[in-house]
Amino acid sequence: MIMMTSRQWLATAAGVVILLSLPLFLPNFWLVNIFGRAMVYGVVALSLTFLAHYGGFVSLAQTMVAGVAGYAVAMMAPTAIPLGPLAMPYFAAIPLALLAATVAGAIVGMIAVNTREIYLLMITLALAVGLSLFAQSNITWFRGYEGIRNIIGPEVMGLPFRTPLVFYYVALGVAVSMFLLVLYVVRTPFGLVLQAIRDSDRRAAAIGYYVGLHRIASFALAGFIAGWGGVLITFYNIGITPSSIGLWATVAVLIMAVIGGLGHPLGAFIGALIYTVMDTFASSIIGHDRFNTLIGLVFLAIVLLSPDGVWGLGKRLSTALGKRPQVNADRETSL
Amino acid sequence: MSASPSHSSELPALMLEGVGRRFGALRAVSDVTLRIEQGERRAILGPNGAGKTTLFNTICGDFPPTSGKITFFGTDISQLKPHRRARLGIGRTYQSSTLFSGLSVRENLYLAVRAMKPGRFSLLKAGPGHADLRRVQDLAQQVRVEHILDTRIDAISHGQRRQVEIGMALAGNPRLLMLDEPAAGLSAAERPQLVALMAELPRDLTLVLIEHDMDVALANSEKVTVMKDGEVVVESTSDKVADDPMVQAIYLGEGH
Repeated sequence: MIMMTSRQWLATAAGVVILLSLPLFLPNFWLVNIFGRAMVYGVVALSLTFLAHYGGFVSLAQTMVAGVAGYAVAMMAPTAIPLGPLAMPYFAAIPLALLAATVAGAIVGMIAVNTREIYLLMITLALAVGLSLFAQSNITWFRGYEGIRNIIGPEVMGLPFRTPLVFYYVALGVAVSMFLLVLYVVRTPFGLVLQAIRDSDRRAAAIGYYVGLHRIASFALAGFIAGWGGVLITFYNIGITPSSIGLWATVAVLIMAVIGGLGHPLGAFIGALIYTVMDTFASSIIGHDRFNTLIGLVFLAIVLLSPDGVWGLGKRLSTALGKRPQVNADRETSL
Repeated sequence: MSASPSHSSELPALMLEGVGRRFGALRAVSDVTLRIEQGERRAILGPNGAGKTTLFNTICGDFPPTSGKITFFGTDISQLKPHRRARLGIGRTYQSSTLFSGLSVRENLYLAVRAMKPGRFSLLKAGPGHADLRRVQDLAQQVRVEHILDTRIDAISHGQRRQVEIGMALAGNPRLLMLDEPAAGLSAAERPQLVALMAELPRDLTLVLIEHDMDVALANSEKVTVMKDGEVVVESTSDKVADDPMVQAIYLGEGH
């Protein structure tokens, strides 16, 4: 009944200690705009990796589901400009936004439940683009192109949410919690059934599991995870606009998940960090006209070198160096 | 949900009346009528393409019948979804291994044990010594895989996978066990072990078996149903079936 091997526990603990102490070494720009941003987008990518790795389905609707939470918290935020009719304190708005994302995830699941592979991609992409276009054209609730501004988040221990240390530690807390949540859930009966359905849905049904319902539930859980990301992204951007849930944002999250590696939840965060660093610095390295080319080439190189992303590359390197002689050594024992 | 079979009932375990299954214009199974008593051991024989596996799939619900009626201990199950049938007490194996290859033997068996109980969406892990885990241990012993419980399915042999398959089908204490070519692909050394394993199954368990290998089929059954081109062509007892001219024609013609 161990969740991880002792070496994995050690590595996780070391990682958390390093992340906790980063504010001692790094300027605020790095804390907030690189690590903080990577962690909140990483949470959305994590929801995609969770569905892809353990459920076997790649959903392009995760950014949209995060956007549902983002828009929900913005519509209910007490500081919103323009202020909506639903304005309420943040402590009530945030849980409701998470609930909205969970429900949105379940609805995506219900719509996509009988589709696989390319058809699932197309349906979830259509849902993502659909909501973004709707937000763009709806003035009453979504405020059209302008979106909703001044979503500054709640005060934490008397400090504004946007204080670098506050934002960094909240983002870290949420990212680590969601990461551990995924690692935990996949060892529970629910998570094992999800993997069983991935490996053989017919057999899962033949031993008595209602495959469709499990699929929908996993989309709901992924919606909850993405919702956390959506809320924090909205605080990070101090508001939300249709473009933050549009096609480019959807592709960005997919890129993070893929270059980081879909084989492990950690890949989502590795990918998000690489993406954020590239997105931030490419223009200063190569100039404003060509920076997208550089980003594209780096991502292409990663995917060509290692189809399972940076995580897969690291895993193969450590196997090659003889650190993990057994086939199953890197696998957590669950029962 | 592990219903104990009622010995007083006169109801057949499984009753098929005029069951057919079409795929478009193809009649994979047509007008099959079968009566299988509780505790009976029945083998279904026939050449490739005779419709044996399709018949299995209509009974288990993977492809419900397009005509006719299937009753299981008196309950009409013709249009139930597969998981409902499984929970009523129908266990099955598949012809080609369809285990959960990314999970360990223990996890495969554990999922099969859990499937029959509430809490299928549980987010709580079973503690050590939990009744479900002890049941997994017993099943593993029964199908002789207790030494590989923590190995992943994709790292065990074909023969071991067949044993895990049977263990999973038994996990829900089924009243009817359906085995689709359990001996397929087994080595000569593995076959007797399978036959012994099947002989140990409880006597009140109804067993339906698709088998290509005549010897395995006859060693494990009392009655035999022979199918050809989607229809039942012979129904006989195991000791007489080999003398049937139709069966000889089918099997000799096929080059066995």
